[in-house]
Amino acid sequence: MGFIILTVLILGATFLGLAFHRFWTSRPEAKSTLIYAEIARMFLAWLALRAVEMRRQASPRAWWASLKGLPLWREPVLEKWLFICFYGSFLYLAASGFFFGIFIPRGMFGYPLVAHVMAGGLFAVCLTIIVLFKGRDFISVPKPASLSLSLLDPRAMGITAARVKLWAFWLFAAAGVLLILSALLPMLPLLRTGGQRFMFGFHRHSALVSLAAAMVFAGLEIFASGVKRPE
Amino acid sequence: MSGSGRTILRAAGGALAAVLLAAAGARAQTAATPAAPAAPSNAKHTVWDGSRTLPVHLLPLRDENDEPIIPTETDPMPYSARFTCGPCHDYDAIKSGWHFGAMTANSSGRPGEPWLEVDPKTGTILPLSYRKWPGLYDPKAAGLTAWDFTMLFGRDLPGGGPAEPPDEEALAEPDARWNVSGRAEVNCLACHNRSGRQDHSEWAKQVLRENLRWAATAAAGIGEAGGMASRLKETWDVVEGPNLDDHEWAVAPSVSYRTTDFDSKHRYFFDLNYQPSDDRCLVCHSVAPKDAAHWSADRDVHSAAGLKCTDCHRGDIRHQMLRGYEGEATETGNAAAAAFTCRGCHLGEDADGRKTVTPGRLGAPYPKHTGIPLAHFKRLACTVCHSGPKPQEGFTRVRTSRANRLGIYGVATWSTDTPAIIEPVYKKAEGDRITPQRLVWPAYWARRSGKDLVPLKPADVEAAAGVTLKPEANIAQVLIALTQVTAEDETPVLVSGRFVFTPNVDGGIDASERAGVKDDAKASWAIRKDGTVSPLVPDFDPAASDKDPAIEPRLQEFLQALGTVTEKPGEPAIVVRQTLYRFAGGFLDVSEAPAGLAGASGPGWLVDDKLVPLVSDFDIRTVTAKAGTERTLTEEQVELVLAVLAKSVAGGEPVYVANGRLFQLGRGGRLAARKDPHAAPVTWPLAHDVRPAQQSLGWNGCTDCHSGGSGFFFDTIKAAGPLLTKSAASRSASSFMGLGGLFQRVFGLSFIVRPVFKVVLGICAVIAGALLVLAGLVALGRVAGFMEKR
Repeated sequence: MGFIILTVLILGATFLGLAFHRFWTSRPEAKSTLIYAEIARMFLAWLALRAVEMRRQASPRAWWASLKGLPLWREPVLEKWLFICFYGSFLYLAASGFFFGIFIPRGMFGYPLVAHVMAGGLFAVCLTIIVLFKGRDFISVPKPASLSLSLLDPRAMGITAARVKLWAFWLFAAAGVLLILSALLPMLPLLRTGGQRFMFGFHRHSALVSLAAAMVFAGLEIFASGVKRPE
Repeated sequence: MSGSGRTILRAAGGALAAVLLAAAGARAQTAATPAAPAAPSNAKHTVWDGSRTLPVHLLPLRDENDEPIIPTETDPMPYSARFTCGPCHDYDAIKSGWHFGAMTANSSGRPGEPWLEVDPKTGTILPLSYRKWPGLYDPKAAGLTAWDFTMLFGRDLPGGGPAEPPDEEALAEPDARWNVSGRAEVNCLACHNRSGRQDHSEWAKQVLRENLRWAATAAAGIGEAGGMASRLKETWDVVEGPNLDDHEWAVAPSVSYRTTDFDSKHRYFFDLNYQPSDDRCLVCHSVAPKDAAHWSADRDVHSAAGLKCTDCHRGDIRHQMLRGYEGEATETGNAAAAAFTCRGCHLGEDADGRKTVTPGRLGAPYPKHTGIPLAHFKRLACTVCHSGPKPQEGFTRVRTSRANRLGIYGVATWSTDTPAIIEPVYKKAEGDRITPQRLVWPAYWARRSGKDLVPLKPADVEAAAGVTLKPEANIAQVLIALTQVTAEDETPVLVSGRFVFTPNVDGGIDASERAGVKDDAKASWAIRKDGTVSPLVPDFDPAASDKDPAIEPRLQEFLQALGTVTEKPGEPAIVVRQTLYRFAGGFLDVSEAPAGLAGASGPGWLVDDKLVPLVSDFDIRTVTAKAGTERTLTEEQVELVLAVLAKSVAGGEPVYVANGRLFQLGRGGRLAARKDPHAAPVTWPLAHDVRPAQQSLGWNGCTDCHSGGSGFFFDTIKAAGPLLTKSAASRSASSFMGLGGLFQRVFGLSFIVRPVFKVVLGICAVIAGALLVLAGLVALGRVAGFMEKR
């Protein structure tokens, strides 16, 4: 039950954070006031309006058009298939894992479990290739820090959407490695029941971090391409 | 204060202290003892004084009338546990215990081994229990009175329960003979006697002789019981004593005490155990693979470690023995029971997996379970991997004490092969956990009553069926009759198909196979001598002058012998080449066979100037079909019996349940088989023998169970039963678990590539992990300014 609450809280917070970022960076009225309550009211109104708008626009044809519009299809063949496998396996892993983890008391079993394990292997291979060959594109190079109280000032930390996206990538990669380890170790004759139980929890929490990081990365990536800068 | 006042105060204070101490003691006892009772109505020896010793039981014996027994007097009564043990131990509380109180118990608990009424002649294997367990019939619903039940199963009852019915129930059974036999009281000594004289075989013998009130005395070796109540008239009363004029039969039971075990005050020394020893439990609870050699049987690991059955299966004076299954604590309200399950003792977990129990009782080791995924602990009982025979060896056919009458010894062989019980069948039970179970397929005749079946008593079926169920007896009576005139080294036999049938000491026939003979070889009567089978009536020319002079006297002997057969349709006769031999007026009558016997040959019955075979083709066809199998019925027999029952049984269509199918007469009176829930196998969980860790499932890896051809999932059980049929049900092991066989096969096959999968995951983890560490170090070096100073 604790994991379900944590999942709902983290995924909800991530969603709201991304939505707020979108609102803050795309709507001129967002910065028209300094009153937090007023900002929250405008944000919620915008969110509701946006939800209705998206609901109206949503259709299988629109989804298909969005899918076809992804830059993925314009990649070279190797990269295209790498990303198809990576995204596909991750989407299945997240969907099956969280569905069974949240809604099915018994947990995952049967064919979905076999598919989950197979998708996990594919995901591990794809993640390793991406980190190996694409990781360099996400190296964030912070400035050397000086010892001062400004280190504690968030505004002086240089937190930007681009940097958050990079951190999200590395956080996702780290969570991915932990997912691989927490899947692999219970298969080896190393862990006793306590260790197995720990790894089971660890796997689920790593998956939660991984999903949240993926949401942040994907959200910022998608918004960055279509965002309208305030004039 | 006066002296008397101080005395009263001291007395009151002392009494108060005693009460408090007793209460504290009782509370401590409650905490430490698993089955701590609510105080029984009669508080006899219910509070332990703390001594771990057992008092010497040198006791005056008392009989069922609560009169003292003088062992040297003439015709003493047998001892009564109620009145000998009862003064110190609450007999009524004991009487409600697990082993005695099935008829009156409020809850039944987890299913246990049923009582199996087995009657090979009618093909009956009827699972019975007074407890409300699925798939079993209440003996009362099956038409069995407490008397019937006692006579059927008393050999393995420890007294009490149905063997000691209350007066109103005993009087309500008009056919019962409680007045003659007495009642078998709770037999304390069956379990608590430490003496090597305790003899279960003697108990069984006395019960079958209807010597119920004498059985405990005889079985314990306290005295020697003689006589047979079963031979007495129903009007006999124990106060009458033996009939002094009857020296030949000596039927009235009596007891002769072993006087050397009594002291001068007529007190008997009981050599007792507080905790019954294992061999007392195993008298009724032994299970062993059929046909296994004694030396090859390993003990349960707990026994090998020095534990006794009663170290785990404990109980207080109420004798509500802990059975040790998960959920028992909740069902019985005895919280301490949670500590005596596998999980409780070894893991300290209750049935819900909470760490609420102190583990390690009596040195129970904490299991490592290294590399076993958690799902196994959620979905499997501990016994799946640790108990019973290993499934890689296929299903194991076992025999149990109660079902197969083990542990009873005498001149005759008591143990039986039927019913066929197999284990381990892994079945979903107990809070959705899979548990290993024993399984038996029921077989019985019944009549429909709505959606239910009401079993018919085997005796009623046999009476209605007449000769249809007696082909063996018909053949045996001919062979036994011929045995009277054959030499010692000769055996009269019936030869049919691949089999030779010989008479046995039980009045039946045994079949043995002949090598190199076709299945359809014609049946004939013969004599076996020195392993050679020759025709009973050799082919010879009766008219020849040089015929063997010994032949005709031999034929006369055969005819004389056949004349002694009780159920014969006519006079015996032998026809050889149109010559008719009969035995008439004390002489061999030789005449020309009448026209009606044209073509007839060999021995037979002369009926209406025709030669009828000694036994019918149906009899021969039936026994030949069943020979070499354990089957006792053919489909033809079932069809005939159902047809008879349809006319004689009122209240519903007669059916026969066997081999996992329900048989009934279909269109045109032909036998039809179909699936029916009443034909489903009866199962009950097994817990022992627990194997050592190295022999548990999974010790050799996942493929112990998860492989494409794993016996754990893919063994098939074909329904065993008394009926020779091709319609027998068949089920896969995985179907009992509620699992799909295809999925388990796919899942099992995935373990072929799993080693490669693990290597790939390992490589990925190392590469991706190393890159992550490297990226982290680079970032850290940059933040620290190391990169700039490089």
